[in-house]
Amino acid sequence: MTSKTTTIGGQAVTVKLAMKMEDSLQAFAVRAACFIGEQDIPYSEEFDGHDFGATHMLACLGEEPVGTVRLRWFKSFAMPERLAVMQRFRGNGIGQLLIERCRQLAESRGATTLYTQALPQDVGYWEKYGWRRLDAEDKGKGPKRLVAMVRPVDPSKPLPHADSPEQVTLRSEPQVDASGLPVGGDRR
Amino acid sequence: MTERATMDLGNRPEITIKLASTSDEMMQCFMLRAAVFMGEQQCPYWEEYDGNDYTASHLILYVDGEPAASIRVRWFANFAKLERAIILKRYRSYGLFLPFVHWAKEFCRKKGYPKAYLHGQRRLWPIFERDGFRKVDDKVFHFSDHEYGAFACDLDVGEDAPSVTTDPMVLNRPEDQLDMPGILEESMERGASNPHAGWTERRAS
Repeated sequence: MTSKTTTIGGQAVTVKLAMKMEDSLQAFAVRAACFIGEQDIPYSEEFDGHDFGATHMLACLGEEPVGTVRLRWFKSFAMPERLAVMQRFRGNGIGQLLIERCRQLAESRGATTLYTQALPQDVGYWEKYGWRRLDAEDKGKGPKRLVAMVRPVDPSKPLPHADSPEQVTLRSEPQVDASGLPVGGDRR
Repeated sequence: MTERATMDLGNRPEITIKLASTSDEMMQCFMLRAAVFMGEQQCPYWEEYDGNDYTASHLILYVDGEPAASIRVRWFANFAKLERAIILKRYRSYGLFLPFVHWAKEFCRKKGYPKAYLHGQRRLWPIFERDGFRKVDDKVFHFSDHEYGAFACDLDVGEDAPSVTTDPMVLNRPEDQLDMPGILEESMERGASNPHAGWTERRAS
């Protein structure tokens, strides 16, 4: 399990994979609170059809669910997204605890690259934790100006440069093809 | 009508109300509640999902197909308890609350319940009073950070209220569409082949 730990008020934050219906419901409830309740995202946008092809991590403080992230699997990378921490528990490093669990799981499955799409105002947060823009010149795509960001699963093995042939190629948005299936990183 | 109420008023948004009857519709109810109670009102998860969700009926309201509001109904012997009523923030100016509560009361009435009961947050008392609810006593109590009073509203249950002598196939219908034939009535066309009768006879002898 994770070597990093966080405590709030003397109580440890634990991170686990959602394995049961109840775990998933708790993960979804945290997202609904943060994205639908706080940020006014419509339900149909938040629950976009990718939840049942993904792995969900759940952070709990005691019995209380406080954070979650969804990890989607592509051929050449793993994609953490929908990172959410309940408002009153922010600032305690729960987000990075969840991302670290994603990194470990990706490593155990042989993935070398983590990829995510960040809002412009969050790019600094990701950079602080070892992520970089996939394309250094990228000014953000789509209506939300999402910035594609990557980091190596193994920090000692830096990713190839963006112009190298091994580099993953991605569509920015949407992440589905014409048939509605998730687009893999190997599509060109 | 307690079946699906769809109001399409020109260029106004289309409002649909129904009994949540699939796991996706239940999920929508739960997520709307998480958005409002956990996201906006900082209610802890275990107070919001209190263990009573799987003994209740859940009502869902859509605005142009988008989940917008939800009410939970629990069934006691002589009254139905309306609770966990919420409307997503972006739909609060649409005047949905009273029509939705009215639909919920109709739903309870058609099931034969002579009384709807609720715990009203103090700030909402005038709204419930305008809708025919009366305080059951002078008590004020509090839980999950809010003050409440108990309200009840009499429902005019007609002679056709479901009872043990009601047509059995009416009782089998989807509960928000008791006045329309249900899927089990369609199954009657197949007749009664009693496929397990032989097994039971062998067990009995």
